Amino acid sequence: MNITSDLLRGHTETIILKHLLEKDSYGYEINKAIQEKTNNQYELKEATLYSAFRRLETSGLIVSYWGDEQTGARRRYYAITNEGRAYYTQNRKDWEDAKTLIETLI
Amino acid sequence: MITKIRTYITRAFEDVPKTKKSVEMQEELISNLIEKFNDQLKTGKSEEEAYTAVIAGIGDLSELTEGLRERHVLSGPTVQQRKQSALIITIAVMIFIMSPMALIFSAEVLGQETLGLVSMFALIACGTGLLVFHFASRPKYIKDDESMVEEFKEWKAAKDKNKPVFDALSSAFWLIIVAIYFYVNFIYGWWTFSWIIFIIGAAIHNILKAFFNLSRNDHEK
Repeated sequence: MNITSDLLRGHTETIILKHLLEKDSYGYEINKAIQEKTNNQYELKEATLYSAFRRLETSGLIVSYWGDEQTGARRRYYAITNEGRAYYTQNRKDWEDAKTLIETLI
Repeated sequence: MITKIRTYITRAFEDVPKTKKSVEMQEELISNLIEKFNDQLKTGKSEEEAYTAVIAGIGDLSELTEGLRERHVLSGPTVQQRKQSALIITIAVMIFIMSPMALIFSAEVLGQETLGLVSMFALIACGTGLLVFHFASRPKYIKDDESMVEEFKEWKAAKDKNKPVFDALSSAFWLIIVAIYFYVNFIYGWWTFSWIIFIIGAAIHNILKAFFNLSRNDHEK
């Protein structure tokens, strides 16, 4: 499980971008989706998640805006930019290449 | 329990400057954690268990707070912008240097003094226009966050904005003075007393400077 987490951590940004491709979302919702997709096997630490948001936003791959919730606390939503889409496609391709390589090696 | 979550986050951000960014980051974290906490309760956990799960899931916040604490280095112009700016200034200076040549050329070779004078002033106008455009279109300092330091920097940038314009105008002014000096010397041969134009020029320059500073002070008040 430890090696798996390490491997996954390297793809945090791609995982977030993949989720934002579908729709704008906020931190907890993204983390919840990750949990559901992995049958509760994987969950991001909040520190990792929000650091990734900051990096992605600084690089212009995502943008954020505050939602207008009527009840409860405000949520900060994130949306993917065109640069983010291009970055995702590239990462996706890199992953496919790496996967093929690793398959042949181990 | 929700208060406890809030306290936990506030304490983690204790020694981070209270900038807009860090306050918003805390608000975002807290609202997301509360939602998670409520979801944990729904799965049948006790308040205590839910709180422990939420806090355990946060991880090491120092990466986040470290990023907010580091001083923002003033992001200067990019290499491309600097190259462009150097190019504009170079062209403008070249035009300034060449403008008296236009006068001398038409006066001496073509015998067209008026044409030479007109083309010289036209060239000077082009050069000055370029410089003024360049300094006016340069990006103003934009606040990085809401802290006092940033406000000060922005205020200072606004204050200094007019200075380059004045400098550009004053260099053009002196070139015109030199051009006139050569013109009257070559055309009318006033070599003996034409140097007085430099003294007059200096006087006019200082008067203009005084007016410029006065009007700037008025703006600040």
